[in-house]
Amino acid sequence: MSTTIRRTALNFPIGMELRTPPRRMTRERMRWYVDLLPTVEYDDGLVHSGAGTIHDDDAYAISQGFPGIISDGMISTNWLSSMLFDTFGKDYLTGGKLRTRYIASIYEDQVVVCVAKVTFRTVAEDGSTEYRFDIWCEDDTEKKLTVGEATVRCSAG
Amino acid sequence: MLGRYISDLEPGDKLGPTEVIYSAFAAREYAHCNEMYQPFFHAGGGEEHYAPPTIIHTGKLKLFHQACPGGKGPDARVHIEFDAEFIEPVPVNTKVVLSGEVIDRYVKKNRTYIRTNIELRNAADGRLLVRYIDTNLLAFKPKEGGAA
Repeated sequence: MSTTIRRTALNFPIGMELRTPPRRMTRERMRWYVDLLPTVEYDDGLVHSGAGTIHDDDAYAISQGFPGIISDGMISTNWLSSMLFDTFGKDYLTGGKLRTRYIASIYEDQVVVCVAKVTFRTVAEDGSTEYRFDIWCEDDTEKKLTVGEATVRCSAG
Repeated sequence: MLGRYISDLEPGDKLGPTEVIYSAFAAREYAHCNEMYQPFFHAGGGEEHYAPPTIIHTGKLKLFHQACPGGKGPDARVHIEFDAEFIEPVPVNTKVVLSGEVIDRYVKKNRTYIRTNIELRNAADGRLLVRYIDTNLLAFKPKEGGAA
């Protein structure tokens, strides 16, 4: 999914927000992350199932104190991370920082919007620009679900 | 305490090091399952190809599984915080080294948390690629009388 602002517009004022279109945290999206964990760990060219977790098994999630399955926090982290990579490209991967804290569970079919708001901007002597962001995921009532900060240094030119 | 359950881990417990080679398949799977469709994470025909840096989360689990063959313990862990610095992109088909250490274990409101420091380095020269501090809750339901 692309962000609403592309890499060609890198003159971001303090207070500006990057936002993704809303996405629904479907059961399928939750299961994709469950299954990718053993798939990457085995890394044998086959897809492995990681089923039986609080992210894909309602009965197990309820036994652990949840009302139903919840998403793995890494999904919202990755959606935020992808938005920053869409915006800053390789600069984000070379010195970028990302902290996400999961302050509310994300349940099946809850709507998620990713936001990054510029809080700090400085231009270094070498012409690079450091941006700092407050980042979060919110639902369709603007309730924050995941919060954190990010830092990206944009190379000059 | 190493060697049994993840829920037994204590500060000072060392995880790894272990060598890993993220294949093009693994990088694409990680990207695809998180709906990251950028070519940087999907190439494989000779173009630049790197894994999403957040793939280090799977490295944490690999280290946990190696150190704690008994598995998670009595309850499901809940991920609380991801805190990472991406120093260099993570190349595919290149030997990297994962290592970690449990740096904290604490109880808050009758729930037990652990914090783990994870590093991913280039195996050839030891260059740090990604640094990650992971915070996990060991059980969502508070335990009567204290620690989980």
